Amino acid sequence: MSAPEPAVPAPRSPLAGVATTGRYGAAGGTPLAIAEIPAAIVQLAARRGRAGDLARAVSGAFGLDLPPPGRAASARGIDAIWIQPDAWLLLAPRGAEGALAAEVKRAAGDAGSVVDQSHGKTLMSLAGAAARRVMAKGCRLDLDAPAFGPGRAAVTQIAQIGCVVHQRDAIPTYGLVVPSSLAIPFFEWLTSSAAEFGYEVG
Amino acid sequence: MHLIDCPWCGPRDEAEFAYRGDATVTRPAPDAGIDAFYDYVFTRANPRGWHVEWWHHAAGCRQHVKVVRHTMTHAIAATGRATDILEVPAA
Ligand SMILES: [Zn+2]
Repeated sequence: MSAPEPAVPAPRSPLAGVATTGRYGAAGGTPLAIAEIPAAIVQLAARRGRAGDLARAVSGAFGLDLPPPGRAASARGIDAIWIQPDAWLLLAPRGAEGALAAEVKRAAGDAGSVVDQSHGKTLMSLAGAAARRVMAKGCRLDLDAPAFGPGRAAVTQIAQIGCVVHQRDAIPTYGLVVPSSLAIPFFEWLTSSAAEFGYEVG
Repeated sequence: MHLIDCPWCGPRDEAEFAYRGDATVTRPAPDAGIDAFYDYVFTRANPRGWHVEWWHHAAGCRQHVKVVRHTMTHAIAATGRATDILEVPAA
């Protein structure tokens, strides 16, 4: 007889009380948009020799083609970001606790390992015409075309904090995934870097 | 800024990597004896010139990258995956 699954509380925002809605920094012009986005975050890794099986399973279940190195892909509200050989981060709007991980595990079967990172990692976004100039203050990646652009993604380090950078569109809008335990120092780097342009926390 | 060309991630700042030592040493057979294991763990050539070495892309894809680096100029002649055999320049 197996014990019943213990109830897990829903993730709390690691920026609660820190990311306060409002406009900050330089006045005038269109402010940058900074937000914490409640997301379900799941790490998916192919078991040895099963990358092809896993790709077919994920494609069949979610209509999502797992992207190659340096890229992200989206389908049916799920973003997949390549993070290391045969491993991806999957992100979706936050739903029921553990729901995305369970769905991905059901699809992957024994071809992939699934770890729910919804508590461990947090997603922020930075959008606006000056977003690339903000990123340049702490990100060592070349974010200009043709090195980077919409649909591109990278695992790197910003302000000494491990960060997944995903450019979502041409504005540009960046999705930034960082460890929840470092969300506050990262948010402080982000907002102090954006202050000279003016920013709005949503 | 020193760039290392990761076979998976492309050119990345050295700060994302951790140096992991000589990539030419191979583990002796279990019964090779204490001297062989002493050499495997401790004895290094420390050359002035080209050196094949491991750099762990710790803040990126977390793979071990093989790098042919010149120990005096820091020039990098080639990078590759762990199983790649890389060409080492003559001098
Ligand atoms: Zn890499």
